[in-house]
Amino acid sequence: MKISLCFLFPAVLGLAVVTASARLNVVATTPDLGAIASAIGGDAIDLTVLAKPTEDPHFVDAKPSYLVKLNRADALIEGGAELEAGWLAPLLEGARNPRIERGKPGRIIAAEGIALLEVPSVLDRSQGDIHASGNPHFLTDPVNAGIVAAHIARAFADLDGAAAGRFAANERKFAGELQSRLAGWQKALAPFAGRPVVTYHNYWIYFGHRFNLPMDLFLEPKPGIPPTPAHLAGVITRMRADHLRLIAVQPYQNRKTAETVASHTDAVVLDWPSFPGGPGTETYFEWMDFLVLSTAKAFAAQP
Amino acid sequence: MLESFQIMQWPLLACLLLPGLLVYLGLHIVEREIIFVDLSLAQVAALGTCLGILMHYEADSWESYALSLGFTLVGAGIFTFTRTKSHRVPQEALIGIVYVVTAALGILLLSRSPEGNEELRRTLIGEVLLVTPAQVLRTFGLFVAIGIVHWFFRDKFLAISFDPDGAAARGLSIHWWDFAFYAMFGWVVTSFVQIGGVLLVFSFLIVPAVCANFLAEKLRSRLVIGWVTATLASIVGLYASYSIDLPTGAAIVCALGLALLGTIVATSFRKAKVL
Repeated sequence: MKISLCFLFPAVLGLAVVTASARLNVVATTPDLGAIASAIGGDAIDLTVLAKPTEDPHFVDAKPSYLVKLNRADALIEGGAELEAGWLAPLLEGARNPRIERGKPGRIIAAEGIALLEVPSVLDRSQGDIHASGNPHFLTDPVNAGIVAAHIARAFADLDGAAAGRFAANERKFAGELQSRLAGWQKALAPFAGRPVVTYHNYWIYFGHRFNLPMDLFLEPKPGIPPTPAHLAGVITRMRADHLRLIAVQPYQNRKTAETVASHTDAVVLDWPSFPGGPGTETYFEWMDFLVLSTAKAFAAQP
Repeated sequence: MLESFQIMQWPLLACLLLPGLLVYLGLHIVEREIIFVDLSLAQVAALGTCLGILMHYEADSWESYALSLGFTLVGAGIFTFTRTKSHRVPQEALIGIVYVVTAALGILLLSRSPEGNEELRRTLIGEVLLVTPAQVLRTFGLFVAIGIVHWFFRDKFLAISFDPDGAAARGLSIHWWDFAFYAMFGWVVTSFVQIGGVLLVFSFLIVPAVCANFLAEKLRSRLVIGWVTATLASIVGLYASYSIDLPTGAAIVCALGLALLGTIVATSFRKAKVL
């Protein structure tokens, strides 16, 4: 055993030197952060995204490769605001990587620098799965994506000075494209300003905020609590009274619930992917394009 | 290799140290023909955890642990007094009923809690990959203590499981020793469910014991065969989980399933030769 270890050691050291001089190992918790990191890092980083685009980001099941990836990571990008509170901490404990501990330059918390909505004045579990620091789904607003992109570019430059110029150039490109696309998105949704969308979970509030689409009616009675018959009856009553005709569901939510409510209200069910990463929605911009265009199309088709 | 060992060392230790007692208790359970009592007790314990969640205790706090332990003792009481000789109501039926009713109660309780689904899933599949050193050592300490009690009173425990009529004839208090057995068994199951989940605890209890019953008759040889089976399957399962990147608990359960399949094939060949 000792002999084989001696043989291994120079090889292991050599490997460490090679990877250190090569690309930055980056782990992102969710695919939206991954999409932005990939736009900024380009081929100067090796990117791993933990949650699948179709997975519920509140609960992610651990696999050994996650521990390996976190153990080797130079940087970890998390949403923060308690989105990953249920699963990231035990993974990090298992991965034992001091470079991505809280407070180290390798730990990038995207929520820092974002003005979060719905910060509760009173903390009370009886209100459902409320996040103490505010609603953590802030990347559904493209303006926030710009803030996160700048944050990630600065953090990458700190970690890999040699590639700092490339990161800055990619960030400028991202910000420029965001600016021009944002104008188009706002124009596409402007005719429907003030028209509400019913959603399953309180996930899209930042999107609604940006494009002036009220989203305060949910199929869940409280965040994280499955729909109950009495609550759905109330939702149907309000949808009929206010003529609400759009219900948005995400891949991991129960589409049948939305279909049942839709059949009672002549509404249309929209499938909104929670994250970039599906076919046709690979990048952040493609994803936002899809959300905006599908919503505009659905509104336009209604009387 | 070094890195894989670093990542997998605590799950590996958990799967090498902890099944020792589970395999032994599994021999009792298989002999008593109450295969599903562990699922049932684990579900009763989970009901205690559910109540703890509703009372806003964290799932890994001592309050929630005390609640699930308290529920387990109640479950132990139920199973003690339902051990009947009557075949009109087999005990397995009551065990099944306790399982489904407590599972349904858990769903009702957790429908009011945002963490409900996550917690139900965690009870089922566990998180053996993310086990902490403190968890492994604490549980191992408990298992050693209970193992010593079982060793000390082995005559009594073996008598009530393997020869209840003889034990009663000798004047042993069946009810009392049964309750002691179920209470300790419930404690062991509850503690391991927190690490490995219901599927894994069931597999470690039953599969090695069944393999052993296929291959040997004497209790001592059955115990050794069970331990070897559990250890090999754990190593194979953990290795597969690491190298093919599979969920760890489920990989070990499937490795145990393969071990049983191998045992059945081997014994049928042996029988064919004898014939």
